[in-house]
Amino acid sequence: MSTQQQKPETQESPDDSEMNGTESPQQERLEKKERSMVDERSADESDLEGDTVHIKVFRYDPEVADKQEPRFDDFHVPFKKGMTVLDAVMYARDTYDSSLTFRHSCRQAVCGSDAFFVNGKQRLGCKTQISELQQPVRIEPLPHQEVVKDLVVDMDHFYDQMHAVEPYFKDEDTPDASDLEEQRQSRENREKVKMSTRCIWCASCMSSCNIAAGDNEYLGPAAINKAYRFAMDDREGDEIKEHRLRILEQEHGVWRCQTQFSCTEVCPKDIPLTEHIQELKREAVKKNLKFW
Amino acid sequence: MAERYSSFTPGGTTWLLQRITAAFLVVVLAFHFFLLHFVNHAADVTFASTQARMENVGYFLTMVLFLVAGTFHGVNGVYNALVNQGLKGTQKKVVLAVLTIASVALIAQGTYVALVMAGWT
Amino acid sequence: MSQSYNRGLIEDFGRWKEFSAGMWAWIFHKFTGWMLIGYLFTHIAVLSSAVTGPEAYTNTIQGLESLFIIRVLEVGLLAVAVFHILNGLRLLMVDLGVGLDAQDKSFYASLVLTAIITIASVPTFMDGVTI
Repeated sequence: MSTQQQKPETQESPDDSEMNGTESPQQERLEKKERSMVDERSADESDLEGDTVHIKVFRYDPEVADKQEPRFDDFHVPFKKGMTVLDAVMYARDTYDSSLTFRHSCRQAVCGSDAFFVNGKQRLGCKTQISELQQPVRIEPLPHQEVVKDLVVDMDHFYDQMHAVEPYFKDEDTPDASDLEEQRQSRENREKVKMSTRCIWCASCMSSCNIAAGDNEYLGPAAINKAYRFAMDDREGDEIKEHRLRILEQEHGVWRCQTQFSCTEVCPKDIPLTEHIQELKREAVKKNLKFW
Repeated sequence: MAERYSSFTPGGTTWLLQRITAAFLVVVLAFHFFLLHFVNHAADVTFASTQARMENVGYFLTMVLFLVAGTFHGVNGVYNALVNQGLKGTQKKVVLAVLTIASVALIAQGTYVALVMAGWT
Repeated sequence: MSQSYNRGLIEDFGRWKEFSAGMWAWIFHKFTGWMLIGYLFTHIAVLSSAVTGPEAYTNTIQGLESLFIIRVLEVGLLAVAVFHILNGLRLLMVDLGVGLDAQDKSFYASLVLTAIITIASVPTFMDGVTI
């Protein structure tokens, strides 16, 4: 029982029947995923207690003669219960090699800075329990983005694609001063865009996408999801929605998605990216059919 | 970034056509395999038996449509695969031209062969 | 960023062991698609013997069909076509937004079905030919 992870007392949420609506298959799947992960963790953690974890970290620095040829460095980090991949690399940096470079900030899966390629999959360092992984844990920078140094990749292209879809709420005109009221959104509409609002711009999806790797102009899952978040929001006018769809239905927009589901599988926020892209494809087709 | 705002949207129409031809091909390709490998054995095919099938106008039209849909679906698939890999500029235009010519030639030759088989030439 | 390091192809197909179901489905679909369009061109070329005359057509087809290797290739073509059809149905469902949560299972199902149909068809395809 000592090794069992004590789950914090679940917070009593306000009794709002509308918020606890019917369970979607997506929710069910997520719950199942979570349950299986907890089981694995508690079993593994007893083995690891008092042990060290072996991590192999990608090293590269164009400014240091020794590190111009990329290599992997091994670190043995003392295991602590609840240790994440981010904790491990931070320990390695603070204790063994202060030149080990990576981006991180909030440590709670909100800032989206610490997406790494861990054991062959894009994961958020701060959200990945080290006890869930097979050792040695191989930690690399995100694939398909240029490496700047160690685990840091160049995010410029990703940010360009995100901005290309104009990811902000727009209205045609400023409302009259006389009716300056709140712009309300129905609960149903909020539920529809809920998952898409969770994006933290970590670029895991873009990195996992085989098409984005080959076609540099492809908007990528994150940007399309961002556009979905606004296009599906009822508060946006029809004209703006059409403008948004016009950006998305370019040759390098939604059509490049090949439904490989790689993005959906790696998204640390469990956003159903493929589902959103598919819905936008159908939206665009419907819009064009009207003119026939 | 200006090209993002062109009103010409080639992607959507071909995407939809790719799906429509797919739905058609699923049925006809299965029928084609079944007819020429299970109902009739491919080894027993003679010109006479082919002609007997082709003379039926419905069968003839189905086969020509099968050829057109198959060619579009296949060639468009190849073109898309190349665009996915980042083909662009002059190379892309050349590839598109070559593929278009090949498709037209294939459809023309195929239709001609079907007419010969039906004995309508 | 001119000095940044690009890891090249090792990021893609060098990591094939780490691909997920959806990725494999895409690779197989593309591969079978290339085979089928390649075959379509060949198919029309072979059938073009009808232009020469009825005899040439019958002789070409029956001559080819008497070859063991052609029969083996035909079984391969069947496997390729059946997989492309079944996975194509799966992709049509995905495009319609149906059963996205079961996309990996439907891929495995199309693989298994392809295997069953292909193996069950071998006797028919190999009928009346020897090595």
